[in-house]
Amino acid sequence: MSAEPVAAPAGPLILAEDLWRTYVMGAEEIHALRGVSFAIQPNEYVAIMGPSGSGKSTLMNLIGCLDTPSKGDYVLRGKNVSKMNDDELAEVRNREIGFVFQTFNLLPRASALQNVELPLVYAGIPKEERVARAKRSLEMVDLAARMSHKPNELSGGQRQRVAIARALVMGPSILLADEPTGNLDTTTGNEIMGLFERLQREGNTIILVTHERDIAEHAHRIIFIRDGKIESDERR
Amino acid sequence: MPFSEAVRLALTSLRSSKLRSFLTVLGILIGVSSVIAVVAIIDGLDSYIASRVLELGSKSFSVQKMPDIITSANQWIEMQRRKDVTMDDVEAVRRGCDLCTEVGAMVATSRDVKYGRVRQNDVRIMGVSENFSRIGSIRDLIAGRQLIGEDVENARNSVVIGADLMDAFFGTMEPIGREITIDSRSFRVVGVAERKGSIFGESQDNFVWMPITLFRKYYGSRRSIVIQVEARSMNVFEEAQDQARVVMRVRRHLDYAEPDDFNIETGESILDLWKSATQGIYAATLLVTAISLVVGGVVVMNIMLVSVTERTAEIGVRKALGAKRRDILRQFLVEAVILAGFGGVLGVLGAMAFAAGLSSLLGGMMATEFVAPVRLWAVALAVAVSSAVGLVAGLYPASRAAALDPVAALRAE
Repeated sequence: MSAEPVAAPAGPLILAEDLWRTYVMGAEEIHALRGVSFAIQPNEYVAIMGPSGSGKSTLMNLIGCLDTPSKGDYVLRGKNVSKMNDDELAEVRNREIGFVFQTFNLLPRASALQNVELPLVYAGIPKEERVARAKRSLEMVDLAARMSHKPNELSGGQRQRVAIARALVMGPSILLADEPTGNLDTTTGNEIMGLFERLQREGNTIILVTHERDIAEHAHRIIFIRDGKIESDERR
Repeated sequence: MPFSEAVRLALTSLRSSKLRSFLTVLGILIGVSSVIAVVAIIDGLDSYIASRVLELGSKSFSVQKMPDIITSANQWIEMQRRKDVTMDDVEAVRRGCDLCTEVGAMVATSRDVKYGRVRQNDVRIMGVSENFSRIGSIRDLIAGRQLIGEDVENARNSVVIGADLMDAFFGTMEPIGREITIDSRSFRVVGVAERKGSIFGESQDNFVWMPITLFRKYYGSRRSIVIQVEARSMNVFEEAQDQARVVMRVRRHLDYAEPDDFNIETGESILDLWKSATQGIYAATLLVTAISLVVGGVVVMNIMLVSVTERTAEIGVRKALGAKRRDILRQFLVEAVILAGFGGVLGVLGAMAFAAGLSSLLGGMMATEFVAPVRLWAVALAVAVSSAVGLVAGLYPASRAAALDPVAALRAE
């Protein structure tokens, strides 16, 4: 795999076919996903919605290549990741997925710049280029002035913007955000949602996982999950 | 992730929990410094003994009834049955050994010595031939004169005292001509010998030399004598011993097959005995000390396990961002090795301080030079071993961290 993002092949960015995810709890089998199929095109803005326990977190883990399906195929940019091992998945996550978490998940002891550098470190990119790219990424979220600050010296909204800069720094195929406004007040939340809209306009593919209807409504398409199945898939 | 990055990361993380890192390092530090210090002490003791023993005289030897060191009660009983060494033997060796420049005689006992109302306990009372001070390491005098031939021939009442007695009895007073009392007999001091210090707290200056004839008059002539011999040169040292041995065997009418019924002792033989006696002790000491390094390793492993548990969420984030197993493994291993290696380096410094302190302390106690050298190989070994300890101790925690499931790790908060 090369470090540079290659032009997306024709066809969908994500093709999920009959995804099942089954957890074994003692003697019991719990089906968190029961045959989910969908396709996502490049530059889409999709929200995945569902109440807690619906299986939306499980689906997010599969989309984010943190986990593999028990059954079914997950094809990301033409590559079937369903049967990949841990290290192959790590590489796919590094290059294709930009995670944005509800709790930001920044490293507390590292500066904003160092946090943004982290995916580049694991991609094996040399220090100078790393710093340059991380700075550019921070500029994109208007935080270039705060790059030497530690997370605890930043506001919640600023922290989430650092996390978004980190998610963008590798030029991923998907920006995958899990309740990105869950720990923010409404005003800051709206700012972040505005940032996502801008990023989508600039060509990024965004998948938003949330249980809040008004957050989901920022997206152009809402996939509603209930009991491990897709209940509705509406474009707006 | 490149190695330099892992090192930088490890340093950051160690700096961020300074107290814990220090306590972890302490375990290794103690282990390493005790290993190095023990090696240094052993080394120092060996060279100290070697120098002291060789000081006894490198080309002198003694012929005596019993060996210097007896290892069992049975041996002692057996040795007791041997014939005493007599003045006639001394004379025979003097005549029969032409490679010997000096053949002297010495016989000793232990008594309290008094001067006025001052008493010095357990003084070594030695009856010696006039050439005694010229055999082995030379003892010069700081006052008065040596015993001379006429003293011995006429059993004259004149003694040379050691520096301890000088200190105890006379201080800054003139000692020559004073009368000291041993077993209510008076002896006239004619000389004071120079100070030699002590070996293992045993003073070498607590003695009285008197003519051997006088000694035999007062303390009996049936004591076994130690023949003191100085060989002509180092080259003929062995041959001189053989000559003395032949003389003695002829006098004892020993068959070809029979073993000697006397002992010939040299500085070398004492040294050999010292080495063989202490080797086992050294090995055991070193082993016991090395256990402290294992304890240090356990501390490192413990701390690393805590660290992995505490940083589960961080590991999850790193994995989500693309860290592979080996990245996480390396991160924690490097951290453990740095901890332990740092402990090793500090341990070396600690050992140097300890060795220096010990040198001056023991040196003071023994009134002589005692050097506990910190050997380069011991330092290299200690740092290598401590790093290896870190590696081994870090392996399990690091592989646990590397094997964490990213989904589960991300959930940990």
